Amino acid sequence: MSLPESMSRIVIVGTKSHMDEAIEALYSVGAVHLIDHTVDADEGFTLGTSRPYAAKASERLLKVRAMEKDLGITKKTPTAPISESEIKSKISSNSVELVEDEVIAVIDKKNDLNQRITELNATKKSLEQLSKLDIDLDMYSGYRSIFSMVGTATSDPTPLLADIPCEVVCSGISKKEGGVVAVFAKNEDKDKVQSVLSECDFSEISVPDETGKPSAALAKTEHDLVATEAELAKVEEELNKLLDKHKDFLKASEEELSIEAQKGEIPVRIAASDYSFVIDGWVPTKKAEAVKIDIEAKVEGTYVEIQETRTRSMKEVEEAEDRFKEVPTKFNNGRIVKEFQYPTKLMSVPKYQEIDPSILIAIFLPLFFGMMIGDVGYSIPFIILGAYGLKVTHHKDWRAIATVLFFGGIWAFIFGLFFYGECLGMHFIGENTAVEYTWEALLGLHNLPDLFQGILPSIVLDNGEIEYGGVHKLGADWIGFQLKLSVYIGICHLLLAYCCGVYNKTLQHGFSHAFKEKGGWVLSFIGMVLICYSLAMILINGQAFDTVMIPLAIGAVLLVAGVILNIPEDGMQAVLELPGIVGGILSYTRIAAIGMSKAGMALAFNYICIGMIYGGLGEGPIALVIAFALFAFLHLMIWTLGILSAGLHSLRLQFVELMVKFYEGGGVEYEPLKIKRVKTTSNKDKA
Amino acid sequence: MAEGEALGLIAVGAGLAVGLTGLGAGIAEGNVGAAAVGAITEDASLFGKAMIFMVLPETIVIFGLVISILAIFVM
Repeated sequence: MSLPESMSRIVIVGTKSHMDEAIEALYSVGAVHLIDHTVDADEGFTLGTSRPYAAKASERLLKVRAMEKDLGITKKTPTAPISESEIKSKISSNSVELVEDEVIAVIDKKNDLNQRITELNATKKSLEQLSKLDIDLDMYSGYRSIFSMVGTATSDPTPLLADIPCEVVCSGISKKEGGVVAVFAKNEDKDKVQSVLSECDFSEISVPDETGKPSAALAKTEHDLVATEAELAKVEEELNKLLDKHKDFLKASEEELSIEAQKGEIPVRIAASDYSFVIDGWVPTKKAEAVKIDIEAKVEGTYVEIQETRTRSMKEVEEAEDRFKEVPTKFNNGRIVKEFQYPTKLMSVPKYQEIDPSILIAIFLPLFFGMMIGDVGYSIPFIILGAYGLKVTHHKDWRAIATVLFFGGIWAFIFGLFFYGECLGMHFIGENTAVEYTWEALLGLHNLPDLFQGILPSIVLDNGEIEYGGVHKLGADWIGFQLKLSVYIGICHLLLAYCCGVYNKTLQHGFSHAFKEKGGWVLSFIGMVLICYSLAMILINGQAFDTVMIPLAIGAVLLVAGVILNIPEDGMQAVLELPGIVGGILSYTRIAAIGMSKAGMALAFNYICIGMIYGGLGEGPIALVIAFALFAFLHLMIWTLGILSAGLHSLRLQFVELMVKFYEGGGVEYEPLKIKRVKTTSNKDKA
Repeated sequence: MAEGEALGLIAVGAGLAVGLTGLGAGIAEGNVGAAAVGAITEDASLFGKAMIFMVLPETIVIFGLVISILAIFVM
């Protein structure tokens, strides 16, 4: 059984003057999961204050990130790594500030130009309207007793303004596009004019500060605009040059500064007194000694003690101080099972005191997937795609999918070859029937039976003949077998889940407690299975009552015993959940059902391609090409659907049937203090 | 002939049992699923709980399956 790795708690005590070295040492060891100190946890200790360099580093980090944003450097911008010592010396010689000055000067220029372009565009728009009226721009202002208003309107205001002494100049107003209107009137009539104009949807244009004909001013503005845009392009180019010049430095300094800022904030998470500091942390037990020796050697005047090695017992958790209650979970899986941690984490991180279900998922998820697909033809692309995905992608979502495809594909191949004897929905051996084809008959390979007859399952039909050729997913004689098989798989799977529950509780509280809490469910489950088996024998197989007396009686006794055990813990649930057991088991019939549905589709598509198109159109080359193209397309469809239905349903069986029975989750993942350098190269790597 | 008719009716009944329960489970699961997706978008750690709520209505269709198996094999 795969439990999370055993953890030990260590305490590092040292003098404050060596704090920086201690923090360095913690990071270089890379195995300490820091426990946050809580205020008032220890007398005489408070939380530490961040290191003096942290504030400066954070400030510089902000500057660097702002510059990156201005220059358009994103996560994906490719940059060359810079060595740690080089970037450190650059940062300490104020390179960040120097680069900032350089960048800000250009950015300011760019912003000014952008603003100027916006203004020019607005002026241009006004002038375009004004040039329709052909009134000199200086005519609009400079009067003592009259005022002018110019703007766009949707209808001609002239008739409405007839009563007011004024001069109206309009340019072709149409209801659809509107037009430009200029009104000159006496100052005292301003209110009246405004109210009349507002009825015509008037919106005023501000007259630009120019003189002469609007068309001349427009030409000048357009000229200015082109010049400014050219200038902007030059500035953009300058920015691009800056980007090329500084991107490596900016990326590297961002990484270095964030590491520094992170290190500088560590004291805030630990306990400190006037002259000393205390760091609590979790370390994997097998590394604890090495960590102790390493830190003591690296930091002068520091003492490291291994305080405890935590067992899985919940009693220890209850006795521990609040901040030491939760132990981080370090997954303890090999290379293959590691890939299956993803579904576990999707549900929740396991607690330190329980089985990590990843190993069960790693076994059953591909197995169920393979059983549902069960076809050599579909399995090969699955294996190839999965292997390619595992090789190429590092994204965790895609890796999880590729893992299922690869291992599921292998199982599908095994089931397809040795169990179903099937490729692309057609069996290897057997005779063609009205709608069903076999590879043997189709290609005339009559030596295939010699290869497969011994290994594939066979069945004795009602008429006494033996049918070879493996399990026929859609064969009437095989359906019962497949349903029973999936139910039996379900029973084993669920029994395993209940046993894991008992095991978890035994670890946490001892066996007697575990038996009281989870043992009842194991008994009820076995009892229910025996009762259902007996009833099925009587009802479906028509056996006499007395032949199944014994299993029925044992089942009933176990069921009652289980319910009685469960009642103190679960109350009425102990009875109400009983039908759920049957539901849970029957839920596994989906393994057979999905296999059948795929086989059904494949059967129909094969008949369409081979029987109807190739056979129906005459067996010429054209018919062959059409039939083959359609054949490929339709099987690709089944294959794609296979990923969805088989993948999701086998995952669902793990989540809902298996994990619900024992898995609690809600743990904290082990995250040691560690530095991950991508854009900078560590000095250590070099050495 | 009468026997054939009876067989046909059994088949129809079995089909109805699975079909109608499937429809019911589908409607219920649709509603739960929409809410579950909303909840998971807000807080991904609810995935486990949401998944369990999501498959609760499936019980209905399993009961339908039981009835149809009984109908086909027992009647």
